[in-house]
Amino acid sequence: MIVRFRRSSEAPARAIPVLPETSPRKPKRAAVAGFTGREGEVAEVSGRRRRVVLLGMGAKRDFEAAGALAVARLFSLEHIALDARGLTPTEAAGLAAGSVLRAWRFQRLLTRPEQLHIAPDRCRVERIDVLVDEPERGEAAWARISAGVDGALFARDLVAEPSNMLTPASFAARLAQLEQDGLEFELLQVAALREQGFGALLAVGGASVNPPCLAVLRWKGTIQAAPVAFVGKGITFDTGGVCLKAGHGMWEMRADMAGAAACAGAVLALARRRSPAPAVAVMPLAENMIGAASFRPGDVLRSYDGTTVEVVDTDAEGRLVLADALGWTLARLRPQAVIDLATLTGSIVTALGHHMAGLFSTDDTLAAHVAAAGAAVHELAWRMPLAEGYRDELDSAIADLRHCSDGFRQPDACHAAAFLRSFVGDTAWAHLDIAGVESNETASDRHAAGPTGWGVRLLDRLVADRFEDPHRA
Amino acid sequence: MIAVDFARAALPNEGALALLAMEGAEPAGLWAAADEACGGALRRAAEAAEFTGKKGQTCTVLAPGAGLSRVVLIGLGKEPDHTPLGMEEAGGSAAAALAKDSVAAIATDGMPASHAGHAALGARLRSYRFDRYRTKEGADAKPKLASLTVLTDDPDGARAAWPALDALAEGAPLARDLISEPPNVLYPAEMAERCRALVQLGLEVEVLGPAELTEHGFGALLSVAQGSAHEARVVVMRWSGGAPDAPPVCFVGKGVTFDTGGISLKPGANMGDMKWDMAGAGAVVGVMAALAQRRARANVVGLVGLTENMPSGTATRPGDVVKSLSGQTIEVLNTDAEGRLVLGDVIWYAQDRFKPALTVDLATLTGAIIVSLGHEFAGLFSNDETLATRLIAAGQATGERVWRMPLGDAYDKLIKSDIADMKNIGGRPGGAIIGAQFIQRFVRGPWAHLDIAGMAWSSKDAPTIPKGATAFGLRLLDRLVAEHFEPSA
Repeated sequence: MIVRFRRSSEAPARAIPVLPETSPRKPKRAAVAGFTGREGEVAEVSGRRRRVVLLGMGAKRDFEAAGALAVARLFSLEHIALDARGLTPTEAAGLAAGSVLRAWRFQRLLTRPEQLHIAPDRCRVERIDVLVDEPERGEAAWARISAGVDGALFARDLVAEPSNMLTPASFAARLAQLEQDGLEFELLQVAALREQGFGALLAVGGASVNPPCLAVLRWKGTIQAAPVAFVGKGITFDTGGVCLKAGHGMWEMRADMAGAAACAGAVLALARRRSPAPAVAVMPLAENMIGAASFRPGDVLRSYDGTTVEVVDTDAEGRLVLADALGWTLARLRPQAVIDLATLTGSIVTALGHHMAGLFSTDDTLAAHVAAAGAAVHELAWRMPLAEGYRDELDSAIADLRHCSDGFRQPDACHAAAFLRSFVGDTAWAHLDIAGVESNETASDRHAAGPTGWGVRLLDRLVADRFEDPHRA
Repeated sequence: MIAVDFARAALPNEGALALLAMEGAEPAGLWAAADEACGGALRRAAEAAEFTGKKGQTCTVLAPGAGLSRVVLIGLGKEPDHTPLGMEEAGGSAAAALAKDSVAAIATDGMPASHAGHAALGARLRSYRFDRYRTKEGADAKPKLASLTVLTDDPDGARAAWPALDALAEGAPLARDLISEPPNVLYPAEMAERCRALVQLGLEVEVLGPAELTEHGFGALLSVAQGSAHEARVVVMRWSGGAPDAPPVCFVGKGVTFDTGGISLKPGANMGDMKWDMAGAGAVVGVMAALAQRRARANVVGLVGLTENMPSGTATRPGDVVKSLSGQTIEVLNTDAEGRLVLGDVIWYAQDRFKPALTVDLATLTGAIIVSLGHEFAGLFSNDETLATRLIAAGQATGERVWRMPLGDAYDKLIKSDIADMKNIGGRPGGAIIGAQFIQRFVRGPWAHLDIAGMAWSSKDAPTIPKGATAFGLRLLDRLVAEHFEPSA
């Protein structure tokens, strides 16, 4: 996608956000179209030389939504212009961000050229000109915001990949390429995992022909401080293991690595905008297959930090790989804060639907910062409880704890969070259960269909707002 | 029901005795005196049992001497746990441990007088039993505890503080009885009759029968009731203890006396639990009784929508469109999402008629809230920050904890109907939120909805709640009224 801030454009279509207070900009023909300018309203007026789309902004002034709407309406064109004249540079950049995020699509695997054009809603936008009075100021604002957009699109590309093409090893190889952006890459393969005692990760990945690994991406930053750590669940495919999932909808489990993808996208964003804050992404990667070497319900695993864990349901594997990764992160990196992201439970979808992620935290300040960062970038998170009662449900008769409860209609998202809590000690920690928000089933005016990259922009924003003050440490 | 009395702190010379031990503190007061009178037997027992006074710990010593039949040590935990709620839990644990003795005392010396009352309240709450259908239980199988003396440094102070707590101790069993009653015994008309009996306490009670409900146009409520041989009722209970011109607080309870799911029939496993699908209404009745009993200086109206949800030839079908009291039309796509239909009409009626300062509804509304929060918190949904904050605080203080859940347009969109103003379901994701969004369409003014499906019934004993009906919401709402709608004493 090419985004340029310019004073003029030859694009065959132009989208114009119409603000309530700037009605004089509204072309006269809008009146004919009955256009009132309320939020989300669209009117198209064909000009002599180009199509013109008017975007109602209402009082909400959501420029990202307007940029997305422009693309949704002009999807069939390769080149479009967004008229941001009169807007602030930040508003213009927001318009661009919304349009780029909406225009994303995954077409690497489409081999027949006609496929690119036949599907009626297949977006073809390749070039976006943002019309502004002062291109330099627009470009500067865009540089700040586009890093997060780049990171989100990187994450989406990973999540969209089918699981035969994105195994733990090939996922790691994709992450290794980010060295060219200035990130340090480290990989712990099976021998190292065995030596260091990643009993849970090895068990989860044990049945697959594609062995598990732990990938680490570091951004050094310039501030001398402990890093903020992002830990992401990276199950490249989740069959459920011995506790096999039902067949219907199982293909969606290729996205069960969206947490890891988001963590990678977040550190990529920090690198792209040369953030001063040190950060690290830790990504346990494994495939949860069913096979002769599968781990079983009833097994007891020894996690990285030595905790023994009784397995109740092999389909609750995400918390197991996170337990190892959190333990390793705390022991090796001594981070000032840890945020983990995981497509962890169906329970959180029942609780919050597809509109918000579940946010669990032992630290009220960190939780408030995470929620605020999410609200700023349209990635909403709702605080959910960590109470002793949930941990009590995880008592095991033969091990330190079990990893989920064995019953019908359980608050599994709360149980999972209580489980993870026992691996983070006193470190400031937040857990985002993103199972409801990692993908959009269908395209809408606001969102492209498919992976969302949820969490990348939240983490980027969180670091920008809370971890870049050199005096903080 | 155990009789409670307060007496000056002195070692009894017979019966059973409960002593409260603070974690990490040396025995003092009656705890030390009892130990001395028993020749050190209590300390030795505590040591042998590794009893340290940790919260929730108990240690029972049989016939330790000094004429005592039994001494029970109850762990109170550390200083921050010595709250009224902590005292209730200790009192409850004591009552459970003393159940085999007919006469018992509990020592609260060294504590403020109000703590004595909370210990007694805890004991009363824990001693609840629903045994009217046990016809063959022998006397030896029944708990014997009949009289509990609370030993305190300030018996007069404790007695003065007791009536307000006693009202809760009376209201809770009333609610628990209603919730525990089998559904062939407790159907809408029967529950309405039991509400009517509360006139004795000074409540004004009004029962709307099918004719009035039809006349008013409770179309949504009646659509739920039409499949059952039992007709619907709406009961209005008014307590006018406040200034005559003060707008009341309205509490609205879902009272589905049995919920089969209707034509959208539930699976058979555990369907018997659906007798307590009126637990919201049960709690509202209980809180109205408690407010009347303690002569609350506030205006409160409790309303319960009572119906049974049965499948039959006259039942509502999935796909039917019904017209609610508000005039809004509802496409019923699942007859098992019936609670919201009942509440929509009753809330609309309450607001229309009473112009309340605020409305709180209680309902065992969704399975989704159990998958969200389990049995730790009720789901709290509110359009009013102040009310939400107050309910959260009241929940912390009373142990009836609530967790705020979201509302918003993104969820409201999910109940758009193709042919009516709304449909009554919106898919599994966010199921409890969708239920709340539905109700919100019938709300004007400050409002909170408590989804208590995970809290109404307890599968195990808790310190102040024996296994079974909890009456969740009663204490929470009583506290809300006491803290924010009554002039401070």
